[in-house]
Amino acid sequence: MIRQEAPRQRGGDARGFAIAAAALAVALVLPAALNTYYVRILTGIFLFGILASAWNLIGGYTGYPDFGGAAFLGIGAYTTGILMVRAHLPFPAALPAGCVLAAAAAAAMGALLLRLRGHYFAIATLGFMLVLRQLTANLEITGGGSGMNLPPASDFKIFYYWMLAGLVLAVLAGFALPRTRAGYAIAAIRENQDAAQVLGIEPLPYKILAYAANAFLFAAAGGIYAYWLTFIEPLSVFNLDFTVQAVVMALFGGPGTVFGPVVGAVVLKTLDVTLTNVSLFLHNVFFGALVCALVIFAPRGLAELFQASPGRSRWAALRASVRRALQENRV
Amino acid sequence: MSPPVQIALQNAVNGLLIGGTYATVGLGMSLVWGVLNVINIAHGAFVMLGAYTTYWLFTLYGIDPFAALPLAGAALFVLGYGLQRVVINQVIRASFLITFLLTFGFELLITNIALSVWTADVRAITTVYSGRSLHLGPVIVPAIRLMTLAAALLVTVLLHLLMSRTRLGSAIRATASDQEAARLMGIPIGHVYAVTFAIALATAGIAGGLAGMSFPIYPAMGANYTFIGFVVCVLGGLGSVAGALVGGLIFGLLTTYAAGWLGPNYDYIVAFSALILVLLVRPAGLFGRAARFRG
Repeated sequence: MIRQEAPRQRGGDARGFAIAAAALAVALVLPAALNTYYVRILTGIFLFGILASAWNLIGGYTGYPDFGGAAFLGIGAYTTGILMVRAHLPFPAALPAGCVLAAAAAAAMGALLLRLRGHYFAIATLGFMLVLRQLTANLEITGGGSGMNLPPASDFKIFYYWMLAGLVLAVLAGFALPRTRAGYAIAAIRENQDAAQVLGIEPLPYKILAYAANAFLFAAAGGIYAYWLTFIEPLSVFNLDFTVQAVVMALFGGPGTVFGPVVGAVVLKTLDVTLTNVSLFLHNVFFGALVCALVIFAPRGLAELFQASPGRSRWAALRASVRRALQENRV
Repeated sequence: MSPPVQIALQNAVNGLLIGGTYATVGLGMSLVWGVLNVINIAHGAFVMLGAYTTYWLFTLYGIDPFAALPLAGAALFVLGYGLQRVVINQVIRASFLITFLLTFGFELLITNIALSVWTADVRAITTVYSGRSLHLGPVIVPAIRLMTLAAALLVTVLLHLLMSRTRLGSAIRATASDQEAARLMGIPIGHVYAVTFAIALATAGIAGGLAGMSFPIYPAMGANYTFIGFVVCVLGGLGSVAGALVGGLIFGLLTTYAAGWLGPNYDYIVAFSALILVLLVRPAGLFGRAARFRG
């Protein structure tokens, strides 16, 4: 699986958190200064920041290539929607229910799926997402294939703050996980599961913990997304694009790091929005080409690409790491 | 014959007939997975390209769709060789997540380019013999489905002969079982990988033509076939031609019976349940033994 650096030194952490705290302070006051369009764009970036950070818990730290994250996004969206529409619960009560349900579903499915490894795990999680999509389209309580309308909110800015809160939670989870006892077990599982087992680490409970935390956050993003868009249908939330974008953003920014996935989400989503303004067709083709280029030239993410070695310029470091990436994986 | 028996029999025939197309979809995926250790997310997109190639040859030039199959296969063979040689070989030794994402990038590129070139219109290949059928006692056999099954069996047999009887087949199997040893024996690995991917895409192209004769053709059809390919590989056991055939036939029966008993919208649910069950109980597939290509 993917390799990543060990949790950074305390000095690096302090700097990272100083920057993060400053960014958070700016983010809190920003909606007052921006027009509707930009608030909307930022809300979208936060959404993908949550997803990328959530995927990082299972895909980055634990090394399990989950491709079914949209399953939990869908559970969060539909649970929130059903509780608001059919049970007339307020949003702040409906959202946590969706998150808890998704985490429970992840624990149950994880108990089965996390026994699989590599390709098989990836496919099984993808299949789980497709099954939930079909089930949702067949059920009556979800509105079936024609989807479901949620009550509109009075002020669009509340979604910005909900997403921001979700993002803070996701980053904190990414910070906390590797520093707990479970984090050490998870790192051991990622590096060599068989060896970890010999050392007396029973892997499954730790993997389930990371998987459920990932599901909780995907569901949080999904619930807020549903309320934000006020309309959901099986195809729009059980959508593989959410998962793959999260994977690519985490990979781009640096998997297994606290802030990497968020940086990946900010950079790639900004690019994506810019290109969508240029051409609706182009942005999908561009994203495809970007994914190809990224895995060929920078399989360890952007951070490593620019890591200068002593005595060399950034440009030389970039060329060297691209050359290294190309040489070590080709036949 | 009582109606329930008759329906069960008709479902069995329908399932086996369409199973041939599914087997052809699974063949290429199994080959790439078993030899290159790559899960090709774009496999369905290549099936889509094969379907469009067959469709345009038929619609624009009046070429019979069965005669167009080898042409679709040849076109995708060339595309496959180039893609593997120029792009995939650069990352072939990277972790599986990397090649998984690379083929996802292909899928996005191909599907979106197809969408802009051919639009989202749904198309169908309708020949003069599309409506004909044979009546074997109580069972109705649509002529075109019977012909697609025959073509699928022919492709399977040819691929089996290629893998088991030719020098190229030996080279591919040797590379699959031990890449380093194969290299030391003088096998040009980069070329063998490229030919393997090319053969896989040729079968995907033919599968696309076959699918286009039974199902609608549109740019986003690929994702569905990628999932079918997975399930066929897992059911039959990874890395054998016979496994893909058996997996395809089982998948055809499974989805046909599921549609008959539960309604048309339960195919993913049934297919996924079968997939999980097989993965947990017999991870090597119902008939597979090891994860390398045996031909």
